[in-house]
Amino acid sequence: MIQFDAIHKVWPDGTQALCNVSLEIPRGQFCVVLGPSGAGKSTLLRAVNGLMRPSGGRVLIDDIEFNLGSERQLRQRVAMIHQHFNLTNRMSVAANVLAGVLPSVSTVRALSGWFKPEQRHKACQLLDRVGLTPTHLKRRAGDLSGGQQQRVGIARAFMMDPEVVLADEPVASLDPKISRDILGLIRDAAREQGATVLCSLHQIDLAREFGDRIVGMRNGRVVFDGSPAEFTDDCVRSLYEGAHWDDSADDAEQNEPVQRSVA
Amino acid sequence: MNSRPIPVPPQGTALHWQLNTPYNYKHLLVLFAIVVLLLVTGQRTEMDRMLVMTTEAVGNLLGIADDSQVVRGLSRVGEAMWPPMISESDEISRLPDLDRDKLPLFSRIEVQQRVEQRMNLETLQLEATTDTIEVLIKPVGYLWTVFVKMIETLEIALWGTILSVFLSIPLAYFAARNYSPNRYIYTAARGIISLLRSAPELIVALFLVLAYGFGPIAGVLALGLHAAGFLGKFYAEDIENADKKPQEALEAIGAGKIKTLWYGVLPQVIPQYIAYTTYILDRNLRMATVIGLVGAGGIGQELKGRFDMFQYGHVMTILIAIFLFVFILDQVQARIRARLI
Repeated sequence: MIQFDAIHKVWPDGTQALCNVSLEIPRGQFCVVLGPSGAGKSTLLRAVNGLMRPSGGRVLIDDIEFNLGSERQLRQRVAMIHQHFNLTNRMSVAANVLAGVLPSVSTVRALSGWFKPEQRHKACQLLDRVGLTPTHLKRRAGDLSGGQQQRVGIARAFMMDPEVVLADEPVASLDPKISRDILGLIRDAAREQGATVLCSLHQIDLAREFGDRIVGMRNGRVVFDGSPAEFTDDCVRSLYEGAHWDDSADDAEQNEPVQRSVA
Repeated sequence: MNSRPIPVPPQGTALHWQLNTPYNYKHLLVLFAIVVLLLVTGQRTEMDRMLVMTTEAVGNLLGIADDSQVVRGLSRVGEAMWPPMISESDEISRLPDLDRDKLPLFSRIEVQQRVEQRMNLETLQLEATTDTIEVLIKPVGYLWTVFVKMIETLEIALWGTILSVFLSIPLAYFAARNYSPNRYIYTAARGIISLLRSAPELIVALFLVLAYGFGPIAGVLALGLHAAGFLGKFYAEDIENADKKPQEALEAIGAGKIKTLWYGVLPQVIPQYIAYTTYILDRNLRMATVIGLVGAGGIGQELKGRFDMFQYGHVMTILIAIFLFVFILDQVQARIRARLI
């Protein structure tokens, strides 16, 4: 279960990214976050694993508050799937997937690349599960197509048996058919694990199809919270139309200061 | 579906913003300042005299000008240096251990007449006396000596590079802004890197020869220390500039700094690292030939000795050997690079 308790975020330039967001996402739910660019979707997701540090409020995962002390422990239970896949392009697919298990591997094993047999076995199983073949194992991640790269990203995310999966616009750069496949993979894999999914999207049809619940955000506030059935076309219109956001808000989201440091 | 063109305001419509011309008076001022700087510094470094002398030399070679200082100087050295010395000869009387039945490979014994000026102690006059001496001739003896020295130089360069890589890895880690534990360690690491890089190999070698004595130790240390500054700086900057996305992915699952560096940064920067390191190896080979001049081992020490004894034939052999070595190394490097990257 993820709890957002009055999360508040102001960027150093004074932009209000999140404004007193309180949400409770029960275990096993596939929760889709919708909203125009710059609404604070990514910021909300990144508060769960501490890539963004809120200016105020608390995030709790299974009643453990996210702070510096619990960061390391909680991050191992939270997986993330990224919009730009965030694979190490020059590294093999196998190594990229195995990198998903790094937190629980000793430094010697990590640096020598000598992973335990069960970890290697799991990497193969997951790659098979996301629809890749043994021929992909040794290929460089950067040489794969976008859809295949996201499949590798999913395999990496599930290496640690996560309790929470954050998917930050996982299909933003993929075509509709592959987008549906990818979201289906995330949903099914999460269901098998009993993991909670928090997924930001731009495609309303996909949100309705895959979401157990839809959260609409605008200007850092939650303006809609309900089931896909309740998310009518009128809701879509009021969520997106006439949104006079600043283009630079999207840039600010991309260049936020947290990305600059590897804390 | 009807498509409508994007409306563009008619020509001459005033906009509240515009694209400026690419140059203005500021650029002219900068240009003027650069020209003045070039003129002043050129005059101070005697670039005008250089031009005159070079023109004279070219004129002399073409038969237009009568005399040229440059051509005279160069041809004097050139004549002394040709032909390159490849053989080596030793007087038998100075080789007490020589076994006449088992001469070294390719060598032979020759009897030579030598005319020497000696002081006659009775008349106190210089008299020419002729001695008959036996000489051991090694036809490619000096070539072999140069080869052995060249290998030693290569070894100095290699170990200098190995040392610099090992020194620069921790330096680079602490000098990369996004991995350094704190600001003070970062500043300290950057300071050490600047210090190492600012000290030229030749000067460092000069001091290290005093500390470690003549020979390769001083050479390896001098090359290693200087190159560690160079590599540390470039490794660190590559770590800082590496794509942040994979690092973020690993940070998000709590992988820790070392593992993130290993899996998120290193694979991205390894081609540049190889390029820097091979450049350093190349540079170290060239510098290893030079630092011998101050007694830090290798071919340079041999070169300095021969140069000081005016044995320009030997010098020529060494110079050709250095050129060949650098050339061969270039070829090998190009091949290794093509395979690795």
